[in-house]
Amino acid sequence: MTSTGFFDPLPRVLVADDFDRGMSGWLDLRPNFVAPGFREHSDDIDLIHWGPTMLSSATFAFGGTHGSAQGTYSLKISSRAAAAPPDEPPAPGSMGLSIKRLAVPAGTRRVRVEALIAYKAEQDRPGLGVDDVRAFGLFVDLQDEVHRYMPGVRYVNAVAGQPVRRWQFYSPTDVTDEQWSYGADGWHKAGIDPQWFGARRADGSTVATTWFPDGAQHLIYNESDDKLNWMPLSLTVNLETRSYEEFRVGTRRFSFPDGAHPTLAPAYNDIEGLLNPVFFVEADTDRRVSLFVDSVVISAETGERS
Amino acid sequence: MKTFYTSVVELRQRFDTAVETHPYECGWADEAIFFVETHDLTPGTRLALRVQVSPDGIRWLDEGTELELTDTGFVRVAHFGGFLRMVGTAVDTEARPVPVTVSVRLALKG
Repeated sequence: MTSTGFFDPLPRVLVADDFDRGMSGWLDLRPNFVAPGFREHSDDIDLIHWGPTMLSSATFAFGGTHGSAQGTYSLKISSRAAAAPPDEPPAPGSMGLSIKRLAVPAGTRRVRVEALIAYKAEQDRPGLGVDDVRAFGLFVDLQDEVHRYMPGVRYVNAVAGQPVRRWQFYSPTDVTDEQWSYGADGWHKAGIDPQWFGARRADGSTVATTWFPDGAQHLIYNESDDKLNWMPLSLTVNLETRSYEEFRVGTRRFSFPDGAHPTLAPAYNDIEGLLNPVFFVEADTDRRVSLFVDSVVISAETGERS
Repeated sequence: MKTFYTSVVELRQRFDTAVETHPYECGWADEAIFFVETHDLTPGTRLALRVQVSPDGIRWLDEGTELELTDTGFVRVAHFGGFLRMVGTAVDTEARPVPVTVSVRLALKG
């Protein structure tokens, strides 16, 4: 594990991914290509053109190579140069998402995902692009014997070019499956894949998000599109209660309302016990934006003393 | 052991005019292969692509490798610095530009 002092893992470190050693199992989040002709299983919205994940040295035109918090490479999650208005479904290519697919070890009570992050607009024009980044975030796809659920946090940085700078978390929705999928009577259950399903609103919220009461935070974008600062982020989820436990980012520790949890959807077939963390970034304009992620540490606490 | 990664840089992506694949950062790799697959190309349509390199992912220069195809094809690239992409156009039998849908898979090793 690199940059150890930034991390505060639970007793059992499941993986510690240093991107100086490769992609470490992180790849683009894409749909299931199980329809005839290897087509995607549903076409509610365009899920196949998100921007690709890559290993980045964070190299820029005027500053040269930034490197990572320790070493050269980080994971770069990029959108394409596309965005829809904030109250519409995401436009094709307007997001970038990277996933790692694991499974919950026996007896796990809590899971923590930690990373160092930075976010940038592509320096393809003069000026400062901070308000071209709509949002970025982290969620974890989990399923036990009863429920599939996706706890996660999302930093709404700017909406329609206006700064927001506020954190929200994924929370229960009572819309129907059809409403959740933008009117398509399809396969998806309400609350699943909140990063792109569920009606969006003009203020940057969705039908399955709740603003943290104390969630305003000015993160370090820095003063130029080619300068980045590595900021620690940590999300802890209680698997016994399927609820949020703790969220830390930068110098702040955000409080969840008591018992806060995401939508608890019915279990899906053949994925019981999955542990899939996902990082994502969203563009607010027709400009590529990126989320840089350095070492990711995923840790767990079990019922047994370690 | 070397690191290996294949990125599906473009998946069934339609380009109405010029093809420009997403800027892909891959300075860690020593060698690359672009696998290009066209979808539902009208008979007689030809797709001509060029490999480009860049110091920053924004300012691009021709690398010198070219690929012309009517179905699928690949090119090998090495010593390419930090960023790679492919650009080009599809033309019909009368050399008029036409839309094209492609999948581009970039296999990297280093």
